[in-house]
Amino acid sequence: MAFLRLFIFGFLALSVLYLALSIYFRSLTRERLEKEWRADNPGSDDEAAHDAYVEAGIREYNAGIRPKLILLVYVIPTVLVIAALVIINTN
Amino acid sequence: MRKLKIALWSLIVLIVGSLLHYNLPQHDVVRITSTEVIRMDFSGLNRFFFAQADSASAELTTRDMRLINTVKRQTWILGFFQRPSEKVMVYRNEDTGWNWPPYFKFDSSDLQAEASANVSSPDTEQWAVITHYGWRNRYFTVYPNAIAIRPIDGPDATVIPWFNIFFFITMGVLALLVRAMWRQFRERTIDPALQDAGEAWDKVDAYADEKRGRVRRWLDTWRGKPRG
Repeated sequence: MAFLRLFIFGFLALSVLYLALSIYFRSLTRERLEKEWRADNPGSDDEAAHDAYVEAGIREYNAGIRPKLILLVYVIPTVLVIAALVIINTN
Repeated sequence: MRKLKIALWSLIVLIVGSLLHYNLPQHDVVRITSTEVIRMDFSGLNRFFFAQADSASAELTTRDMRLINTVKRQTWILGFFQRPSEKVMVYRNEDTGWNWPPYFKFDSSDLQAEASANVSSPDTEQWAVITHYGWRNRYFTVYPNAIAIRPIDGPDATVIPWFNIFFFITMGVLALLVRAMWRQFRERTIDPALQDAGEAWDKVDAYADEKRGRVRRWLDTWRGKPRG
Protein backbone atom coordinates (compact mmCIF):
# COMPACT_ATOMS: atom_id res chain seq x y z
CA MET A 1 0.00 0.00 0.00
CA ALA A 2 2.74 2.41 0.97
CA PHE A 3 4.66 1.31 -2.11
CA LEU A 4 1.66 2.07 -4.29
CA ARG A 5 1.35 5.51 -2.72
CA LEU A 6 5.01 6.24 -3.35
CA PHE A 7 4.70 4.96 -6.92
CA ILE A 8 1.59 7.01 -7.76
CA PHE A 9 2.70 10.27 -6.17
CA GLY A 10 6.23 9.87 -7.49
CA PHE A 11 4.87 9.24 -10.96
CA LEU A 12 2.62 12.31 -10.77
CA ALA A 13 5.43 14.55 -9.53
CA LEU A 14 7.86 13.32 -12.19
CA SER A 15 5.20 13.72 -14.88
CA VAL A 16 4.78 17.37 -13.94
CA LEU A 17 8.55 17.79 -14.20
CA TYR A 18 8.59 15.90 -17.52
CA LEU A 19 5.87 18.07 -19.07
CA ALA A 20 7.47 21.29 -17.80
CA LEU A 21 10.88 20.29 -19.19
CA SER A 22 9.36 19.25 -22.55
CA ILE A 23 7.66 22.62 -22.93
CA TYR A 24 10.77 24.47 -21.75
CA PHE A 25 13.23 22.82 -24.16
CA ARG A 26 10.81 23.08 -27.11
CA SER A 27 10.36 26.76 -26.33
CA LEU A 28 14.15 27.25 -26.24
CA THR A 29 14.47 25.47 -29.59
CA ARG A 30 11.72 27.61 -31.12
CA GLU A 31 13.38 30.78 -29.89
CA ARG A 32 16.73 29.68 -31.30
CA LEU A 33 15.14 28.89 -34.70
CA GLU A 34 13.39 32.25 -34.81
CA LYS A 35 16.63 34.06 -34.03
CA GLU A 36 18.49 32.01 -36.67
CA TRP A 37 15.98 32.94 -39.33
CA ARG A 38 16.08 36.62 -38.36
CA ALA A 39 19.88 36.55 -38.54
CA ASP A 40 19.84 34.86 -41.98
CA ASN A 41 17.11 37.09 -43.40
CA PRO A 42 17.67 40.53 -41.95
CA GLY A 43 14.87 42.98 -42.58
CA SER A 44 12.61 40.41 -44.19
CA ASP A 45 8.95 40.28 -43.18
CA ASP A 46 8.04 37.10 -45.07
CA GLU A 47 5.99 35.54 -42.25
CA ALA A 48 5.20 32.37 -44.24
CA ALA A 49 8.87 31.57 -44.89
CA HIS A 50 9.69 32.37 -41.27
CA ASP A 51 6.96 30.03 -39.94
CA ALA A 52 7.92 27.27 -42.41
CA TYR A 53 11.57 27.45 -41.27
CA VAL A 54 10.61 27.34 -37.58
CA GLU A 55 8.10 24.49 -38.02
CA ALA A 56 10.63 22.44 -40.01
CA GLY A 57 13.17 23.00 -37.24
CA ILE A 58 10.67 21.93 -34.57
CA ARG A 59 9.82 18.76 -36.55
CA GLU A 60 13.53 17.99 -36.77
CA TYR A 61 13.90 18.58 -33.02
CA ASN A 62 10.92 16.31 -32.26
CA ALA A 63 12.37 13.52 -34.40
CA GLY A 64 15.81 13.80 -32.77
CA ILE A 65 17.18 12.22 -29.62
CA ARG A 66 16.98 15.33 -27.43
CA PRO A 67 13.26 15.27 -26.52
CA LYS A 68 13.63 11.57 -25.70
CA LEU A 69 16.42 12.37 -23.27
CA ILE A 70 13.84 14.15 -21.07
CA LEU A 71 12.52 10.66 -20.26
CA LEU A 72 15.61 10.40 -18.04
CA VAL A 73 13.46 12.35 -15.58
CA TYR A 74 11.73 9.02 -14.87
CA VAL A 75 14.84 6.85 -15.12
CA ILE A 76 17.25 8.73 -12.82
CA PRO A 77 15.02 8.84 -9.71
CA THR A 78 14.14 5.17 -10.17
CA VAL A 79 17.82 4.29 -10.34
CA LEU A 80 18.50 6.45 -7.28
CA VAL A 81 15.73 4.70 -5.31
CA ILE A 82 17.09 1.27 -6.24
CA ALA A 83 20.60 2.43 -5.31
CA ALA A 84 19.32 3.70 -1.96
CA LEU A 85 17.53 0.39 -1.36
CA VAL A 86 20.72 -1.57 -1.98
CA ILE A 87 23.04 0.77 -0.05
CA ILE A 88 20.79 1.09 3.01
CA ASN A 89 19.85 -2.58 3.25
CA THR A 90 23.18 -4.30 2.76
CA ASN A 91 25.70 -4.39 5.58
CA MET B 1 4.18 45.63 5.44
CA ARG B 2 7.94 45.27 5.70
CA LYS B 3 7.65 43.67 9.11
CA LEU B 4 4.98 41.29 7.83
CA LYS B 5 7.25 40.31 4.96
CA ILE B 6 10.16 39.64 7.32
CA ALA B 7 7.90 37.62 9.62
CA LEU B 8 6.55 35.56 6.72
CA TRP B 9 10.01 34.84 5.34
CA SER B 10 11.30 33.92 8.82
CA LEU B 11 8.39 31.50 9.18
CA ILE B 12 9.11 29.89 5.80
CA VAL B 13 12.83 29.58 6.56
CA LEU B 14 12.02 28.11 9.98
CA ILE B 15 9.60 25.51 8.59
CA VAL B 16 11.80 24.48 5.65
CA GLY B 17 14.88 24.46 7.88
CA SER B 18 13.15 22.25 10.47
CA LEU B 19 11.92 19.86 7.77
CA LEU B 20 15.43 19.54 6.34
CA HIS B 21 17.01 19.23 9.78
CA TYR B 22 14.58 16.50 10.74
CA ASN B 23 14.72 14.50 7.51
CA LEU B 24 18.29 14.78 6.23
CA PRO B 25 20.86 12.27 7.49
CA GLN B 26 23.30 13.31 10.21
CA HIS B 27 26.32 11.51 11.58
CA ASP B 28 27.15 11.03 15.25
CA VAL B 29 30.35 9.62 16.69
CA VAL B 30 29.24 7.28 19.47
CA ARG B 31 30.11 4.40 21.76
CA ILE B 32 27.25 1.91 21.78
CA THR B 33 26.56 0.84 25.35
CA SER B 34 23.62 -1.51 24.88
CA THR B 35 20.63 -2.37 22.77
CA GLU B 36 17.13 -3.02 24.02
CA VAL B 37 13.54 -3.48 22.98
CA ILE B 38 10.75 -1.59 24.69
CA ARG B 39 7.02 -1.86 24.26
CA MET B 40 5.55 1.42 23.10
CA ASP B 41 2.07 2.81 22.64
CA PHE B 42 1.72 4.53 19.28
CA SER B 43 -1.69 6.13 19.78
CA GLY B 44 -0.35 9.19 21.57
CA LEU B 45 0.67 12.72 20.65
CA ASN B 46 4.11 11.66 19.48
CA ARG B 47 2.86 9.14 16.89
CA PHE B 48 3.95 11.52 14.15
CA PHE B 49 7.58 11.11 15.17
CA PHE B 50 7.67 7.34 14.75
CA ALA B 51 7.86 5.35 11.54
CA GLN B 52 6.09 2.02 11.29
CA ALA B 53 6.09 -1.59 12.38
CA ASP B 54 8.59 -3.87 10.68
CA SER B 55 7.92 -3.97 6.98
CA ALA B 56 5.15 -6.41 5.97
CA SER B 57 3.77 -6.76 9.51
CA ALA B 58 0.47 -5.37 10.71
CA GLU B 59 0.42 -1.94 12.28
CA LEU B 60 -0.88 -2.17 15.86
CA THR B 61 -1.32 0.66 18.33
CA THR B 62 1.20 -0.93 20.68
CA ARG B 63 4.27 -2.83 19.58
CA ASP B 64 7.88 -3.47 20.45
CA MET B 65 10.47 -0.97 19.35
CA ARG B 66 14.21 -1.42 19.11
CA LEU B 67 16.46 1.10 20.86
CA ILE B 68 20.21 1.65 20.69
CA ASN B 69 21.74 3.24 23.79
CA THR B 70 24.94 5.17 23.25
CA VAL B 71 27.35 7.73 24.60
CA LYS B 72 27.80 10.39 22.00
CA ARG B 73 30.51 12.91 21.24
CA GLN B 74 28.98 16.37 21.38
CA THR B 75 29.31 18.79 18.50
CA TRP B 76 28.83 22.45 17.64
CA ILE B 77 26.64 23.82 14.82
CA LEU B 78 24.89 20.89 13.11
CA GLY B 79 27.74 18.53 13.84
CA PHE B 80 30.39 20.43 11.89
CA PHE B 81 32.69 20.92 14.88
CA GLN B 82 33.47 18.25 17.42
CA ARG B 83 33.65 18.95 21.13
CA PRO B 84 35.58 16.86 23.63
CA SER B 85 32.51 16.44 25.86
CA GLU B 86 30.12 13.50 25.81
CA LYS B 87 26.47 12.88 26.59
CA VAL B 88 24.14 9.93 26.36
CA MET B 89 21.97 9.48 23.31
CA VAL B 90 19.25 6.96 22.55
CA TYR B 91 18.30 6.04 19.00
CA ARG B 92 15.26 4.12 17.87
CA ASN B 93 15.71 1.57 15.13
CA GLU B 94 12.60 1.29 12.96
CA ASP B 95 11.90 0.38 9.36
CA THR B 96 10.86 3.35 7.27
CA GLY B 97 9.95 1.06 4.36
CA TRP B 98 8.27 2.89 1.50
CA ASN B 99 7.05 5.64 3.82
CA TRP B 100 8.38 9.09 4.57
CA PRO B 101 11.25 9.87 4.99
CA PRO B 102 12.52 8.06 1.89
CA TYR B 103 15.40 6.09 3.39
CA PHE B 104 13.91 2.78 2.18
CA LYS B 105 15.14 1.10 5.34
CA PHE B 106 13.92 -2.47 5.76
CA ASP B 107 16.83 -3.90 7.72
CA SER B 108 16.13 -2.86 11.32
CA SER B 109 16.88 -6.36 12.63
CA ASP B 110 20.25 -6.42 10.87
CA LEU B 111 21.05 -2.96 12.14
CA GLN B 112 20.23 -4.09 15.67
CA ALA B 113 22.61 -7.03 15.21
CA GLU B 114 25.30 -4.65 13.96
CA ALA B 115 24.76 -2.46 17.00
CA SER B 116 25.08 -5.47 19.29
CA ALA B 117 28.24 -6.55 17.47
CA ASN B 118 29.84 -3.17 18.12
CA VAL B 119 28.98 -2.71 21.78
CA SER B 120 31.70 -0.83 23.62
CA SER B 121 32.94 -1.80 27.07
CA PRO B 122 34.94 0.33 29.56
CA ASP B 123 38.08 -1.76 28.93
CA THR B 124 37.90 -1.84 25.17
CA GLU B 125 36.29 1.27 23.81
CA GLN B 126 34.65 0.68 20.47
CA TRP B 127 33.68 3.80 18.51
CA ALA B 128 31.21 3.96 15.69
CA VAL B 129 29.56 6.46 13.40
CA ILE B 130 25.77 6.30 13.54
CA THR B 131 23.91 7.80 10.61
CA HIS B 132 20.46 8.91 11.68
CA TYR B 133 17.64 11.30 11.00
CA GLY B 134 15.18 12.83 13.44
CA TRP B 135 15.30 14.49 16.82
CA ARG B 136 15.54 13.45 20.43
CA ASN B 137 12.92 15.04 22.63
CA ARG B 138 12.54 13.94 26.23
CA TYR B 139 9.22 15.69 26.88
CA PHE B 140 7.45 13.96 24.02
CA THR B 141 9.55 10.76 24.07
CA VAL B 142 10.86 11.16 20.55
CA TYR B 143 13.99 9.41 19.31
CA PRO B 144 16.12 9.86 16.20
CA ASN B 145 15.99 6.83 13.88
CA ALA B 146 19.33 5.10 13.26
CA ILE B 147 19.98 4.28 9.60
CA ALA B 148 23.49 2.83 9.53
CA ILE B 149 26.33 1.95 11.87
CA ARG B 150 29.98 1.99 10.86
CA PRO B 151 32.72 0.99 13.33
CA ILE B 152 35.69 3.39 13.46
CA ASP B 153 39.10 3.27 15.17
CA GLY B 154 38.87 6.32 17.35
CA PRO B 155 36.56 9.17 18.27
CA ASP B 156 38.34 11.72 16.07
CA ALA B 157 36.82 10.63 12.80
CA THR B 158 36.08 13.09 10.02
CA VAL B 159 32.78 12.33 8.38
CA ILE B 160 32.07 13.98 5.03
CA PRO B 161 28.32 14.33 4.53
CA TRP B 162 28.31 13.23 0.89
CA PHE B 163 24.59 12.79 0.68
CA ASN B 164 23.84 16.26 2.00
CA ILE B 165 26.39 17.82 -0.37
CA PHE B 166 24.74 16.00 -3.27
CA PHE B 167 21.28 16.93 -2.00
CA PHE B 168 21.94 20.66 -1.69
CA ILE B 169 23.72 20.84 -5.06
CA THR B 170 20.72 19.10 -6.65
CA MET B 171 18.31 21.49 -4.93
CA GLY B 172 20.37 24.46 -6.16
CA VAL B 173 20.39 23.16 -9.74
CA LEU B 174 16.62 22.53 -9.57
CA ALA B 175 16.02 26.05 -8.24
CA LEU B 176 18.06 27.55 -11.10
CA LEU B 177 16.18 25.37 -13.58
CA VAL B 178 12.79 26.46 -12.26
CA ARG B 179 13.94 30.09 -12.44
CA ALA B 180 15.11 29.67 -16.04
CA MET B 181 11.86 27.93 -16.96
CA TRP B 182 9.79 30.68 -15.37
CA ARG B 183 11.77 33.38 -17.21
CA GLN B 184 11.34 31.58 -20.53
CA PHE B 185 7.62 31.17 -19.87
CA ARG B 186 7.27 34.85 -19.01
CA GLU B 187 9.27 36.03 -22.00
CA ARG B 188 7.57 33.75 -24.54
CA THR B 189 4.03 33.38 -23.21
CA ILE B 190 3.00 35.97 -20.64
CA ASP B 191 4.66 39.07 -22.09
CA PRO B 192 3.27 38.57 -25.63
CA ALA B 193 -0.16 37.86 -24.16
CA LEU B 194 0.04 41.04 -22.09
CA GLN B 195 1.19 42.95 -25.14
CA ASP B 196 -1.77 41.59 -27.11
CA ALA B 197 -4.08 42.44 -24.25
CA GLY B 198 -2.56 45.91 -24.08
CA GLU B 199 -3.08 46.43 -27.80
CA ALA B 200 -6.63 45.13 -27.54
CA TRP B 201 -7.29 47.47 -24.65
CA ASP B 202 -5.89 50.41 -26.60
CA LYS B 203 -8.30 49.58 -29.41
CA VAL B 204 -11.23 49.38 -27.00
CA ASP B 205 -10.13 52.66 -25.47
CA ALA B 206 -9.86 54.39 -28.83
CA TYR B 207 -13.27 53.03 -29.87
CA ALA B 208 -14.80 54.24 -26.61
CA ASP B 209 -13.22 57.65 -27.10
CA GLU B 210 -14.64 57.85 -30.57
CA LYS B 211 -18.10 56.75 -29.42
CA ARG B 212 -18.03 59.17 -26.54
CA GLY B 213 -17.01 61.87 -28.97
CA ARG B 214 -20.01 61.09 -31.15
CA VAL B 215 -22.42 60.95 -28.21
CA ARG B 216 -20.95 64.14 -26.84
CA ARG B 217 -21.37 65.85 -30.20
CA TRP B 218 -24.96 64.63 -30.37
CA LEU B 219 -25.63 65.80 -26.82
CA ASP B 220 -24.08 69.13 -27.60
CA THR B 221 -26.66 69.69 -30.32
CA TRP B 222 -29.28 69.83 -27.58
CA ARG B 223 -27.44 72.50 -25.74
CA GLY B 224 -28.69 75.99 -26.06
CA LYS B 225 -26.76 78.24 -28.33
CA PRO B 226 -24.57 80.59 -26.40
CA ARG B 227 -26.51 83.72 -25.99
CA GLY B 228 -24.80 86.79 -27.00
